[in-house]
Amino acid sequence: MKHLFLTTALALALAAPALAQVESDDPIKLTLHDWTGQLITTNLMAAVLEEAGYNVELVQADYLAQFAGLETGDLHVAMEMWETTGRDAMDASIATGNVVNLGETGMKAIEEWWYPSYMKEKCPGLPDWTALNDCAELFATAETAPKGRYLGGPVTWGGFDEERIAALDLNYEVIHAGTDAAMFAELEAAYQRQDPILLWIYAPHWAPQKFQGEWVAFPPYEPACYTDPAWGSNPDATHDCGKPTGPIWKVAWKGFGEKWPGAAAAVTAFTIDNDTMGAMIAKVDLDGESIEDVVDEWMDANEATWSAWIAQ
Amino acid sequence: MMLWRGIWALLAVAALVLAVLLPEGWMWPAKEMQLPMARWISAGMKWLTDSAAIGPVSFKDLTRGFAAVVEAPYEAARVLLVDGITEGKGRRAATIVPPLSWVAVTVAAVALGHYARDLMLGLLAGALMIYLAVFGQWESAMVTLASIVIAVPMGVAGGLALGIAGWRWKPVERVLMPLLDLMQTIPTFAYLVPVLVLFGFGPVAALLATVIYAMPPMVRVTLVALRAVPAEIMDFAAMAGCTPGQRMRKVMLPVALPDLMVGVNQVIMLSLNMVIIASMIGAGGLGADVLESLRRLNIGGGIEAGLAITALAVVLDRLGQALAERAGGRQALQGPWWRRHPRLVLVLAVALATGLLGLVLPAVQDWPKGWTVTTKGFWSGLMEWINVNYFDQLETFRVWMLEHLMLPVKRFFFALPWPFVLAVLALAGWRLGGWRLSALAAALCLFVAVTGLWEQAMMTLYLCGISVLVAMAIGVPLGIWAASSPSAGRGIGGVVDTLQTLPSFVYLIPVVMLFRVGDFSAMVAVVLFALVPAVKYTAHGLRSVPAELIEAGVVSGATRGQILRKIRLPMAVPMILLGLNQTILLALSMLVITALVGTRDLGQEVYIALTKADVGRGLVAGLSIAAIAILADRLIGAAAKGARERLEGAG
Amino acid sequence: MTPPVKLACRHVWKVYGPHPERLAAAGADLDAIRASGHVGAVRDVSLEVGEGEIFVIMGLSGSGKSTLVRCLSRLVEPTSGEILYDGEDLLKASPARMIEIRRHRMGMVFQNFALLPHLTVLENVAFPLEVQGLAREAREARAREVVALVGLQGRERHFPRQLSGGQQQRVGIARSLAVEPDLWFLDEPFSALDPLIRREMQDEFLRIQRQLKKTIVFITHDFDEAIRLADRIAIMKDGALVQVASPEDLVLAPADDYVRAFTAHVARAKVVTLGRIAAAGVPEGIAGTLPAAARVEDVAEQVVAANAPFAVERDGQAVGHVTPAAVIAVLVGRGG
Ligand SMILES: Nc1ncnc2c1ncn2[C@@H]1O[C@H](COP(=O)(O)OP(=O)(O)OP(=O)(O)O)[C@@H](O)[C@H]1O
Ligand SMILES: [Mg+2]
Repeated sequence: MKHLFLTTALALALAAPALAQVESDDPIKLTLHDWTGQLITTNLMAAVLEEAGYNVELVQADYLAQFAGLETGDLHVAMEMWETTGRDAMDASIATGNVVNLGETGMKAIEEWWYPSYMKEKCPGLPDWTALNDCAELFATAETAPKGRYLGGPVTWGGFDEERIAALDLNYEVIHAGTDAAMFAELEAAYQRQDPILLWIYAPHWAPQKFQGEWVAFPPYEPACYTDPAWGSNPDATHDCGKPTGPIWKVAWKGFGEKWPGAAAAVTAFTIDNDTMGAMIAKVDLDGESIEDVVDEWMDANEATWSAWIAQ
Repeated sequence: MMLWRGIWALLAVAALVLAVLLPEGWMWPAKEMQLPMARWISAGMKWLTDSAAIGPVSFKDLTRGFAAVVEAPYEAARVLLVDGITEGKGRRAATIVPPLSWVAVTVAAVALGHYARDLMLGLLAGALMIYLAVFGQWESAMVTLASIVIAVPMGVAGGLALGIAGWRWKPVERVLMPLLDLMQTIPTFAYLVPVLVLFGFGPVAALLATVIYAMPPMVRVTLVALRAVPAEIMDFAAMAGCTPGQRMRKVMLPVALPDLMVGVNQVIMLSLNMVIIASMIGAGGLGADVLESLRRLNIGGGIEAGLAITALAVVLDRLGQALAERAGGRQALQGPWWRRHPRLVLVLAVALATGLLGLVLPAVQDWPKGWTVTTKGFWSGLMEWINVNYFDQLETFRVWMLEHLMLPVKRFFFALPWPFVLAVLALAGWRLGGWRLSALAAALCLFVAVTGLWEQAMMTLYLCGISVLVAMAIGVPLGIWAASSPSAGRGIGGVVDTLQTLPSFVYLIPVVMLFRVGDFSAMVAVVLFALVPAVKYTAHGLRSVPAELIEAGVVSGATRGQILRKIRLPMAVPMILLGLNQTILLALSMLVITALVGTRDLGQEVYIALTKADVGRGLVAGLSIAAIAILADRLIGAAAKGARERLEGAG
Repeated sequence: MTPPVKLACRHVWKVYGPHPERLAAAGADLDAIRASGHVGAVRDVSLEVGEGEIFVIMGLSGSGKSTLVRCLSRLVEPTSGEILYDGEDLLKASPARMIEIRRHRMGMVFQNFALLPHLTVLENVAFPLEVQGLAREAREARAREVVALVGLQGRERHFPRQLSGGQQQRVGIARSLAVEPDLWFLDEPFSALDPLIRREMQDEFLRIQRQLKKTIVFITHDFDEAIRLADRIAIMKDGALVQVASPEDLVLAPADDYVRAFTAHVARAKVVTLGRIAAAGVPEGIAGTLPAAARVEDVAEQVVAANAPFAVERDGQAVGHVTPAAVIAVLVGRGG
């Protein structure tokens, strides 16, 4: 055993200097979460930083719990912080002064009520939200009847669906799934049977790629809708509109930019759009390709793009 | 006796009437009586991480230092099993010396099995290792194995040390006992965040969380085993002139070894139970594979990775047991070391040879991708087939259960006024175990009341209550069946063991697909998991009825059914009660996981707290679960004791 | 010509319960102790054991034999009293001193053998030496000697579970002798064995004792065993000594009904010595000479067969004679 350590130590001591000169050879720690899009984004960033000569380490960390690590410098970069789900935690963490926002990833988070295409035949008024009440019976189950059943996200996602239902006077009940895995399990099962289902879906994600379907068209979101009762169709209630879409942010430990300025510039410059990401997610989740392969493919095809990020 | 029956009947009627008449939530603890415990705990935690210090060393430095100490052996295990010796850090690392090849690890497993018992065991261990390779789980399994081989010795050593301290110093034991109760009943999720904050992000924190979770049984077993060392042997140690240290090292521990191995086995099993949760905070390996597969609704992938965990559990468990039986039976060989350890020499030789051969023939180093087999298509096909063809029947069943069983019970629990609950619990405590138990019951109930989580607690009671009921209703007959014949026993035993080691996440998703998100799915998942002790304890209780009693029954002309009803079952009651106790504890420990299918109980509270990194909120909810678990444990424990004493008094 | 005192204890008390000291100091009687919820396991015991003597402690189960012996070896801390080993008060010895004394000067054999299951016969026997820090070679050499002494050569590499009960106790005996103690405690060493083996072990024990001449405190609840082995017997009841005497005196002059009941079934020939039934003078035509300490049972056949009187002598001096008639009288339970 001792031997092994010795060899390792020697190997480390003799290790050749990095390809390019970088500010620090310490590994930059990027966090990994539990959805494919984020894994791809992070692996892409890691590959780019490595091309620039940085040393990178990928660390599994919980989406929100990671802020504790980002604040102390245990973790350095989180590549996807969604406006829609992570804004509060991000603001709270930035307020400590130890975490900084490195800007948008270029991807837009969409979150909205969604139904499979085959429901359009049964409920022809869709996607308009006003058709929902006519089809409430259709979407009902034993527990919710006569109300329709809307499968909401985990309570932790927020989303104001109860408020929305009240404000728009929808004849529906929210059933919260505990995780997105449970949510998509139900979708898959219903889809196999071609049964009615109405649920919260977000993009970029593989589900809208795998299953044919549409978003319900609510009155488009405006900030005033959530704060001013007078706004919208219901003069007495807030939330009488759809869900906001919003950017997906990159956040980092405050010391990241000081220790690795070049890497920080590259992360700040990183952008990618929803379609490109959606296609990559589908390759991984639906076609079973490995994340590394998908990332390599993108790196080969887009050298000009990523070279520009690290050129600064 | 009659009087008490009357009182209980009266209380039951009162409860029912209350439940029917009162609206839900009629008398839940008022807001004014809630204590802001979550805030206190969070503040305490913040103080601990930010300012607590012993002299110049801050508490956090201390914990971080500890993590660094643990990291070294973990890294060594990774080098051996996963990474090999690499040059450079992070992802840029290039392999200089590869890790042990699959051939070498498999040969090592065979050799260990042969050493521990015989070639059969060795072949079983080897076959299971090959299984891992064939199903493409090798690398993940080695990542998991690397953390298990560190976590288990740590759990064992820590448990031993605490157990010895508790044996040696009474006050230590007095502090330790309630602490162990908490460690075993607070859901792991509740302390993941503090562990992350104190020990840093990454595999080491996951490792330590595993150790915290897996250690308590070792402490308990150590205490019991040391106490069970015969008094004569202790006297002998004194007469031989042993110092206290010699007595412990040379006499007590070796004598207690077979008992201690039971604890080791527990540590192994619990460490493997933690694989999934540990992977949520960065342990990677099979746990991560399970989670990832399920997130993609790759049911087959989840099952394969889950069964790989079961395979690892089987290998480690069997080897552990065999080593325990062997302990003390060794007959040292003579000669130079390579003659005395022929198997070690063989393994080293194979490791070296395959390492070198792997350079030219990669198949020897890594199991080729082309040789892997997968059953993924089968599983998802099976699921789809059941889903498409039998959903209507399942749905009817689900609705029936909901309407006739679950919802009425839920209403019942929600309608109970909290002082009534408190009074009934205190009364039951007093009846079963005297005023001490009564006071404990009242205190725990009051604790839950002032946390402000009464609704979630009632939800928990309802969900666990139903699940335990169903689990017992299925488990006890299964146990009876298993005890009826050896072949039934083996068959059911195999299924039950698999259920126990298969991570519950694996069946959570199929359950949701068939039964939708909701309480029913949660119940099914809990029942599947908590069924195990109900079956095992019933079967064990029935089997251990003394043969003379059964012979007495046969001689007096009782039929098989009569023997079962009149002799075996009554004699097995204490054991079945213990099984009930375990079933409840397991059901409670599943709560957090059922939160993933959307239940709104204490488990959900813990889960929310985890995702919001809210230490206080998580621990308060965790403590509430612990309170319920301890309460159930003590009440049933007292009842089982009473039952046993009645039997022994009669016999 | 009494041998020097090796081990003595004076007014030793061992009371279990919430306030043991109080009761022992007051010298409370049995009823008072019981009434206050205590157990008087050893009550005011004083005795002396001479060097080279086999001192047997007898009593019914629960009478306090084990507790007394454990007080003597200080495995149990007496509530009060004095225990003098070669004049040194053990109760005043420091823990280190006790370890020292036990390592070199005391040995103990246990009812259920107390062998270490994970060690071989040889390792078990060598264990007390290992604890002392003796090198492997030295301690194994010594262990081999004692293993041979108890007749277990060839089984050195066996584990205890591979041995019969009698063999296991031989290991226990060998182990207790490995350190060459002066003082040897045996707590019902043969009780767990079958009657036949028990007898064989008693012979073995006597053989070893003839060779080694230890000072022995031996516990048994089997009176036959006691009279076979003992120089003196102490009878205990409810924690107190009732009578301490030679086997012969116990049978012939029991101190009270308790002792009488104990000894009632004993064949007198087993305890009565020739010295006691010898008639004065040495008549003509004696068939031979017998020692005064010989027990009637052991010589009866010889005397009756000779059908002639035998001279009886003690320390080379003739003290009288025995006739076949006197021997027969003892055998049928009349004489003595
Ligand atoms: N640790 C203890 N605590 C309380 N009482 C005890 C303890 N040890 C012994 N006793 C009591 O002291 C009394 C004497 O016990 P002891 O074991 O000395 O009897 P014994 O004569 O050796 O009996 P046996 O022949 O069964 O071995 C018994 O009444 C026993 O119950
Ligand atoms: Mg005794």
